[in-house]
Amino acid sequence: MSAPVLSIRNLNIDYIGAEANFRAVKDVSFDIAPGEFFGLAGESGCGKSTIAFAVSRLHRPPALIRTGSEILVDGRDVLELDKDALRRFRWREVAMVFQSAMNSLNPVLTIEAQFYDVLHTHKGMSREAARERAAELLKLVDIPPDRLAAYPHQCSGGMRQRIVIAICLALNPKLLIMDEPTTALDVVVQREILQRIDVLRKRLGFAVLFITHDLGLMVQVSDRIGIMLEGELVEVNDAQTIYRSPQHDYTKRLWASMPKLHGDQIRPEAGA
Amino acid sequence: MTLFKQLLGNKKALVGLTILVAIILIAIFAPLLTEYSPTRRVGRPHQPPSWDHWLGTTRLGHDVFSRLVHGARVSLAVGFGAGLMITIVGTVLGIIAGYKGGVVDEVINFFTNMVLVVPNLPLLLVIAAFVGQAGPVVIALILGFTSWAWGVRVTRSETLSIRQRDYVKSAEMLGEPSWRIMALEIFPNLISIVGINFIGSVIFAVIAEATLGFLGLGDPNTVSWGIMLFNAQNASALSVGAWWDLLSPCFALALLGLGLALLNFAIDEVANPRLRTGGMLKSWSRMVLLGEGKL
Amino acid sequence: MGVRATMSGLPHPLPSSPVKGEVPPGEPGKIVPEPAERKEHKNMAFLLRRLAFYLAAFLAAATVNFFLPRLMPGDPIQIMFASAGSELSLENLNALKLTFGFIDAPLHEQYFAYIKSVFTGDLGRSIKYFPLPVTELLGRALVWTLGLVGIATLISFAVGTILGVMAAWRRGTLFDSAVSLVAIFSSSVPAIVVSLILLFVFGYTLRWFPNGYAANPLLDPGFNWTYISSVLYHGTLPMLTLVIVLTGGFAVTMRNNMINLLGEDYIVMGRAKGLADNRVMLFYAARNALLPTVSSLAIAMGTVLGGSLIVEVVFNYPGLGNTLYQAILARDYPVIQGQLLIMTGAMLVSNFVVDLSYVLLDPRLKKA
Repeated sequence: MSAPVLSIRNLNIDYIGAEANFRAVKDVSFDIAPGEFFGLAGESGCGKSTIAFAVSRLHRPPALIRTGSEILVDGRDVLELDKDALRRFRWREVAMVFQSAMNSLNPVLTIEAQFYDVLHTHKGMSREAARERAAELLKLVDIPPDRLAAYPHQCSGGMRQRIVIAICLALNPKLLIMDEPTTALDVVVQREILQRIDVLRKRLGFAVLFITHDLGLMVQVSDRIGIMLEGELVEVNDAQTIYRSPQHDYTKRLWASMPKLHGDQIRPEAGA
Repeated sequence: MTLFKQLLGNKKALVGLTILVAIILIAIFAPLLTEYSPTRRVGRPHQPPSWDHWLGTTRLGHDVFSRLVHGARVSLAVGFGAGLMITIVGTVLGIIAGYKGGVVDEVINFFTNMVLVVPNLPLLLVIAAFVGQAGPVVIALILGFTSWAWGVRVTRSETLSIRQRDYVKSAEMLGEPSWRIMALEIFPNLISIVGINFIGSVIFAVIAEATLGFLGLGDPNTVSWGIMLFNAQNASALSVGAWWDLLSPCFALALLGLGLALLNFAIDEVANPRLRTGGMLKSWSRMVLLGEGKL
Repeated sequence: MGVRATMSGLPHPLPSSPVKGEVPPGEPGKIVPEPAERKEHKNMAFLLRRLAFYLAAFLAAATVNFFLPRLMPGDPIQIMFASAGSELSLENLNALKLTFGFIDAPLHEQYFAYIKSVFTGDLGRSIKYFPLPVTELLGRALVWTLGLVGIATLISFAVGTILGVMAAWRRGTLFDSAVSLVAIFSSSVPAIVVSLILLFVFGYTLRWFPNGYAANPLLDPGFNWTYISSVLYHGTLPMLTLVIVLTGGFAVTMRNNMINLLGEDYIVMGRAKGLADNRVMLFYAARNALLPTVSSLAIAMGTVLGGSLIVEVVFNYPGLGNTLYQAILARDYPVIQGQLLIMTGAMLVSNFVVDLSYVLLDPRLKKA
């Protein structure tokens, strides 16, 4: 395996309470290789989203990433970055798709403005250049460029999700984090979006950290899978191995509870 | 009673409650606190504060302290009486509108919004002006009659969301009569809203009484903070240098307002955990300073 | 949202939970997709609906005016015009009776007669300053009140909103606690108390500012610096009172609205995009939190007007409040009634301005 694009070492995250602290992530370590599709599964509240937020250091008090944790992106410890370096690091190296497609676009800015935000801040692009680039990016997700003038509420849920993905790709990030990105969408749209991500990943070469509690979906799309239980990463292995011969008790139970309705992996010749 | 328990752990609530209880006790025991009658001439006019007259005397030679502590009774009575009326009307109409929906809701909502856009003080003044010199009871009634709209609005909107909850749905399935659902399923979940409405209404009513009194619409024979302001203003207290005459009721009003407002902010914090900036943030900042972690 | 109207002129910034399902336009973050063809007419329809509603509200205020004297014990005509004594000639009295609907006809015809007078702009004549028409008397006063209220509202809205934004963004810090504390003070002390204390301290004791009037009465009104500076000088204390009383409420409203939004995905995404802190604070968080704050401004307008009544009386400022005060002392009922209509009108106009600005601020209401 080549040098990992994301390497998490001994990550501990607490939520500080008035009396007692709650440890949401307990000593978690794992790697993601360049271009790899890595799935992180577990029931809600197991700490998987907490990890996702930590990678771009998006937490707010009372969350606390404990000293001794390391989050290496491309060999550089994100936790050592100062404010400015952190700002430059965000989105350029790690982009993120959030849980709710309906809600991750700013309702009072046009789509174009939300592209321009990123392109201007990180690349100093002019409005015209940004508009051109944004149109290109929208094309990647099959959205006509005239949508640039629209506001989020004028687009459907699936379309908004694809716009977010297009914004994610604006700076050619090395890693795309998807935090339960499809929960709000119906099954057909869900599948379609994941296929599209997979195609883009192969074309552009970014890695994906995919977080979900939908195990069936995860097994179909991921190269490797990590299983989380109450803040701990209990098992990591490649998707087929972990599916066919789970080691940890909890993983076995998860598989048992999963309805066996899904077909083969969509990965091999996925997409159009 | 978790709300009450949480309130006792809130600093703002404690300070507010202390102020409020102190004022209420002073009002109740007013006759024991002073030897002077609030309505008799007990000294020379406009005497500055002294050992005999702690807060000085008015132009008519009344003892200001005595009038202040006796006036607290009327101001508090009007405040709590009108506050109670406003809250009852607002809560009942709000729950009915929010729960019943349909035409009932539309009618109540229409009138509520209408009352909300008619400016409240001018309306009060017109009514009070026709009533003439209004005694405390009449003032409380007028306030109750004109000031319920805000309560209806918040109660209604909160009811709309509670109505969708499972326990209300299941009570409906069981065929509970709607008054029972409104009284036993919905009302208990509105306690913090009702509390905020009540305290806000009391503040409003106390200030309204003072304002009406100050503007000469109160009954000049009652002893209340508003009438004290009116008399002091009429006696040109400030221009003759008798500041104690005017500023005493001012500070009393400010203190009562502050106590009630603190209580109200505290309820809001307890009811909306998102607004709280409690101990956890303090220990969080301490841990960051100690280098135990970062964001 | 959630603004408790109190008479101190303060929007009581409680509770913080958003008010759902109310008439003023949408909520932040709630997105209702609209078919494109309907959007064209949506704003017009929205504004027309509001206008119709305001008309109904104005009618309600007029109805209160109509019934009040008739509900009081005793002869309503006697009540309305008693303060004139015997000075009013029979002819003048008859004209006034007609204006206020005291005609020899059934109640509903009386009502229509009164409503007709109101909508033709005839509010009767002042008894105290007979034969000065009420509209003229109040019109003169209105200019001062609007100036006072308008500027005070703008200042306190701007200052309060900025403080609220910064407090929410630095939530839990010393700055946030300080803003909250100041806001509690500012919004709990009634306007009447603040104005009297300011008058005592700066007017009587320190003598920094005058104790009354809108300008030096010896000056001729005119558009020159001497006069304008005198107006500003005389307006300082009344303005300051209103600003003190209003700012805290706006600050808390904005702070709470913003804190309620900070967890929204689009704000987290703004941060994840690596935008500058200020950009996220202003264009992602504050810009969205402004919407419910603006709609709370509409409700606050009534209390602002109420607050200005008190302030004008205390500072002997020649606006509506003072005119009303003089009318109350003289039991000049046509003026007292006219004042309610003018105030309601002012309130409705400012509500409409808020509606318009809402349409401008919220793209979800804008034309496609």
